[in-house]
Amino acid sequence: MQLLERYLKSLSPLLPAELREDILRELSEDIQSEMDDKQSELGRPLTEDEQYEILKRRGNPLEVAAGYTSNRGTLAFGRQWIGPVLFPFYVRVLTFNLGLTFLIVGAVFAALSLSGQQVHFADIFSSVILQLFIQLSAVTLIFALVERHLSRHPHHWNPEKFKVELQVRIKKDIHQKIHKKIREVPRFESFSILVASTVALLWMQSLWSHPFLIFGPAASLIQLAPIWHRVYMPTVAVILAAMLRAAINLVRPDWIRFRDVAALVLDAASLAIIYALIFGCTWVVPATADSTVALHAAQAVNQWIPYGLWIAAVISLAQAIKNLLRLYYNLRWRDTAGA
Amino acid sequence: MTHSSDSPSLFENLRLELRRGSLVLAVLAALRKEQYGYTLRKALADLGMAIDEGTLYPLLRRLESQGLLLSEWREEEKRNKRFYKLSPAGEQVLGQLLAEWKSIDSSLKEIVKG
Repeated sequence: MQLLERYLKSLSPLLPAELREDILRELSEDIQSEMDDKQSELGRPLTEDEQYEILKRRGNPLEVAAGYTSNRGTLAFGRQWIGPVLFPFYVRVLTFNLGLTFLIVGAVFAALSLSGQQVHFADIFSSVILQLFIQLSAVTLIFALVERHLSRHPHHWNPEKFKVELQVRIKKDIHQKIHKKIREVPRFESFSILVASTVALLWMQSLWSHPFLIFGPAASLIQLAPIWHRVYMPTVAVILAAMLRAAINLVRPDWIRFRDVAALVLDAASLAIIYALIFGCTWVVPATADSTVALHAAQAVNQWIPYGLWIAAVISLAQAIKNLLRLYYNLRWRDTAGA
Repeated sequence: MTHSSDSPSLFENLRLELRRGSLVLAVLAALRKEQYGYTLRKALADLGMAIDEGTLYPLLRRLESQGLLLSEWREEEKRNKRFYKLSPAGEQVLGQLLAEWKSIDSSLKEIVKG
C-alpha cells in the first residue's frame, strides 16, 4: 500500500487541479484491483518488489499525467523536448518574458520615433529577433533539461528510496490530498516563477555590459541614468525574494498563507521601486555628451518613460489588490474548513 | 529490403495506429453492460483488445465529457468504484459506428480479394 501511495503522490502535482481528486481515486482503485488479483493468483501477499513491478509497468508519472491534460501541445524537433505536462508552463513563462521585453523595446523605439529620430525597420527587426533568440533559447533550454530529468528519473518512488523516507508523513500527505481537498500552491507555478526570475536576473545583469539588449541600435545614443543604478540592488533583492518564496512553496506547496503574505510584501516592495523610479525625472542620458542627436534621443525617451512607469504602477497595484483579496478569501476558506 | 531493421517498429507503429482507431468502438460496445475501469480493461484484454490504463482512463473521461458515457461512484466489495455505462446518446453513436465499421470491413474484404 505504501508504494501505491508514493506513486500517487508523485503523480498528484502533475494532474489538472480540477480533476486531481477524481483521477487519483480512480487510478488508486484500478491499481489496487490489479494488486488484489495478483495476490489471489499467487495465494499470498505481494512483496514490495512485485508491487513495484506493477507500478513500474504503469509508466512514468509524467506520461500518465500527460494522458489527462486537455493541452496536447508539445515542443518537438525529431524527439520531444517539452511534453504536454510542462508545455503550458513553458508557454506561460515565455509569453511573460517576451511580452515584458517587447514592451520595453517597443516603448524605446516608439519614443525615438515620436521625437523625430529616424527609426529603420531593420533596427526594430534585429532588436526583436535578438530578444526572441535570447529568451527562447534560455527558457527552452531550462524546460528541456527539466523534461529530460523527469523522463530519465521517473521512478523517484523506488523501494530503496522509499525505505529511508518518513512513511507516516507520506501516508498523511496523500490522505489529506485525496480526502480533504487541501488547497496548495501548484508546484509548476512555483517552478515557472523560478525559471522566469532566473531569466529576468540574467537579462538584467547583461543590460549593464550590453545596453543593446534594451535600447537596440539606440544604445550608441543613450544610456541608463544613475536612478537605475540606485534601484538595481533593491530590484535584484525583490527578484531573489520572489525566487526564495517560490523555492519554499516548491518544497511546501501547502504553505498557502506564507505565499499570500510573501506576495503582498513583494508587491509593496515592487510598488516602492516603481514610486522611486517615477520621481526619478531622468531615466536615460545621452551616451555622448557633445552629440545633439543623442541629447534629443534622451529627451524623447525621458518624455515617454513616465507613461510606461505609471502603467507599471497601475498593473502592480492591481496585482497587489488581487493578492490582498486572495489572502482574504484563503483566510475565510481556512476558517470555514476548520469550522 | 534496405529498411529491414526498421520493419518491426514500422509494423508496430502501423499496428498500433490501426488498433487505436478501433478502441472507441470496442470501449463503447463493451460498456453496453455497466462496468468499472478495471473489469472493462480485463474484459477487453481477454477478448484480444488489450488497452493500457494510461489510454483507457483518459478515453473514458473524454467519452463521458462528449455525453456518450454515464458514470457514477458506487461501493462494491467495500471499495468505492467508478462504474461506466453507455448513455442513450452513446447507444445511438455506437449503432452508427458499427454500421460504418461493417461497411469498412466489407469494402476492405473486396479490396483485399482484388
